[in-house]
Amino acid sequence: MTATAQIEELYNHRGKRARELHDSGKKIIGYFCCFVPDEIITALGLVPYRIQGSQSDPIDQADAYLEPMACPFARSCFNLALKGEYAFLDGFVAPHSCDTIERLYHIWHHNKPSPFNHMINVPHMMGPSSTEFYRKELGYFIKRLEQWSGQKLDPGRLKEAVVLYNQRRALLRELYELRKSDPPLVSGTEIIKVLVAGMGIPAAEHIELVKEFIGEVKQRPQPKREKLPRIFIWGNEIDDIAFIQLVEECGARVVMDDLCTGTRFFWEDVPETPNPLDGIADRYLQTHCPRSNVPQTQTREKDLENRYGYIGRAIRDWKVDGAIFYIVRYCDTCELEGPDLREYLNGMKIPVLMIEDDYSTSTIGQLRTRVQAFLEMIG
Amino acid sequence: MEEKQQVKTTAIKGTEMARRVRGLVKNIYQSAHEAKATGKKVAYFMVASQYDEIIRAMDIVPLPTENYAGLCAAKRDMDRFLLKAEADGYSQVLCSYTRIGLGFDSLRKELGRIPENAPDGGMPVPDMMLGSSAVCDPRFKWYQAAGRYLEVPTYSIDCLGPPVQADLNEVRDYYIKYMKDQYLGLIAFLEKQTGKKLDPDRLWETIRLSDEAWRLWYEIDRLRVAVPCPMPVEDHFSIMVAGHYYSGTQMAVDFYQGLYDEVKSKVENKTGVVDDEKYRLLYGGGLPPWHTLWIFNYFESFGAVFVIENVYRGYDPVEVPSRVKDPVEYLAWRSFLRFTQRYEEAKAHSGNPTVEKLLGYITDYRIDGVVFHACRSCRAMTVGQVHLKNLLGQYTDIPMMQLVSDMVDLRDYSEAQWKAQIGAFIEALAGRTAK
Repeated sequence: MTATAQIEELYNHRGKRARELHDSGKKIIGYFCCFVPDEIITALGLVPYRIQGSQSDPIDQADAYLEPMACPFARSCFNLALKGEYAFLDGFVAPHSCDTIERLYHIWHHNKPSPFNHMINVPHMMGPSSTEFYRKELGYFIKRLEQWSGQKLDPGRLKEAVVLYNQRRALLRELYELRKSDPPLVSGTEIIKVLVAGMGIPAAEHIELVKEFIGEVKQRPQPKREKLPRIFIWGNEIDDIAFIQLVEECGARVVMDDLCTGTRFFWEDVPETPNPLDGIADRYLQTHCPRSNVPQTQTREKDLENRYGYIGRAIRDWKVDGAIFYIVRYCDTCELEGPDLREYLNGMKIPVLMIEDDYSTSTIGQLRTRVQAFLEMIG
Repeated sequence: MEEKQQVKTTAIKGTEMARRVRGLVKNIYQSAHEAKATGKKVAYFMVASQYDEIIRAMDIVPLPTENYAGLCAAKRDMDRFLLKAEADGYSQVLCSYTRIGLGFDSLRKELGRIPENAPDGGMPVPDMMLGSSAVCDPRFKWYQAAGRYLEVPTYSIDCLGPPVQADLNEVRDYYIKYMKDQYLGLIAFLEKQTGKKLDPDRLWETIRLSDEAWRLWYEIDRLRVAVPCPMPVEDHFSIMVAGHYYSGTQMAVDFYQGLYDEVKSKVENKTGVVDDEKYRLLYGGGLPPWHTLWIFNYFESFGAVFVIENVYRGYDPVEVPSRVKDPVEYLAWRSFLRFTQRYEEAKAHSGNPTVEKLLGYITDYRIDGVVFHACRSCRAMTVGQVHLKNLLGQYTDIPMMQLVSDMVDLRDYSEAQWKAQIGAFIEALAGRTAK
């Protein structure tokens, strides 16, 4: 089976590999968002599993536990849990990434507890005392995992895990390099599949898969140059191809992103520090999520550059023509961040389309007209 | 501009002291304008951020932007600010307090002056903005976003409490240290902005005043166990102004002393909110419907009185260990103890500290029914209400109801729907009593 076919299989049957591992005696630790270090879980001989929702399944059971004005991604994840889709999880970990995930942790823990349950408090502020606090929280997380699993964390194995995940990060960056050409060698739709496939399998397996996939992509015949708009996607959770596919079907190429399910979780390496926990705490707290507060810097212009300079560089390097913000409704931090980022990008003469959506494939079709109009505008 | 006729939104109060609160509210904004005129520093700030005493000790005039949003709603003058924020790109589902604040700032910038006939004279341009992560996410993101309209120094602090399952002996020290570090960062920022050092004695004094006011407020609420109820929820939503916007001042202490005396007198004389108190209700949670506070009077027309509430006085007094001699450390300890109240009871019982609190209220206040208010634009105070209701239902069979609207956005409110729901709820209460 080709890597492309394996990725397709993993994308379509998300919990399958984790279920197999669980059935063979491995312990699977499910977690939300970008603030739970995979390295720690892996170093303890456990398997991290990034919890995903389903944009195609209706939310038919969660309403009895969770208000409809909560993030529909979170509601969808919990809906799947209620339906038994996450019965293979041996552990459930939520970071305090935002108000809804924090509330959801308690609701999930009460109604669908796993053998191991834990919440990691993640500072919203950024600075030395925040990093120090977060490191302590990770220390407490390790202690609780050790108590539950009966395993003692070996610092050497934690260092190895840092190297392992940095290897995966480097490969994913290499894959993103293949999007720089015009046209890109790999589509945005394919990228979503590669990333989502990796969320449900051990990193070592994902690394092999991505290596093979990169090899397959490089063997593709060089496509002809084209004049289609190159799009940057910003937002929160996109773990379904539906929206990206729609943008590409409308005649654009999605070439770069800043998403929780995209670059945000893998772009920067964990520094290989003498005590690996130092590098892990530092790296994870720097995650570019709107829920974190970048301290104000001097003037408005400099402040925006300080907050979004990394996006500006990506826009230039990937030769982006326009940006689409895909915000899953009720995400207060994204809703507040969007207009600031738009101001910054408009300053770079990059047109922006802001979309707020319900995390449901049933509403995606309604967005087609707006996307088409936007693409015509930037034509 | 034509003077708009104001729609009646507020409730008829039960106590004389609650009727005086309007003056305190006006004074907040008047003081800010006066401070600007005399060169004193004015700061936008967020309620319940655990830093009030520091701001007062630095002689900075606090300007509560959330309160201003509630005021606009009570005056039914919110639409122009909400619509302005939405025109600027903010979602209609974003916290409506935030939308009003950003919309106001946007209009003020666009006009070059305070929008005409803004409630209570409007808010002047602050010298700084002080956010926090206490309670919800928008409370630091709001001021970051307001940088579009206001190029003023902005600083936010973290206010973190551990999850209820945490072993407090394992986490206490580093949570308190982090809180203290956050305060020290804030103090350094304020010292830079004001050009003066924080006086620890002055900070101790504002802490003493604040603790005294909050102790009195707690004692007032304990008096409300009396039958008939001497002070209803609509009064709470007024008298909270002293505890949250005058914390650390003698004015707050004096206010609550006066209210305590009045409520005590009502208890002694058996003076209730209504003549015939049939049902005693608990406001289980959610921000109040500032646009329609008279709805509590509507409940009272059926003999149903909200005798206690679970919002805006989030914690009872706590005892910081006497070995703590530094005022900043005291604040850090106090925050931790406030955030972890009822954790041990919860671990031994329901697993949820809020459930423990509400069950305590249901018993102590002889509650007949619980009403929650879900606000479409408020995640922090709304998400989890259904879960709370489910949990409470495991321990009590009293009727419970969730009303849905918003704290300030009237577009999410339906009077007809509410009245139908209230009618059915009163029937459920009557049915129980008749058994």
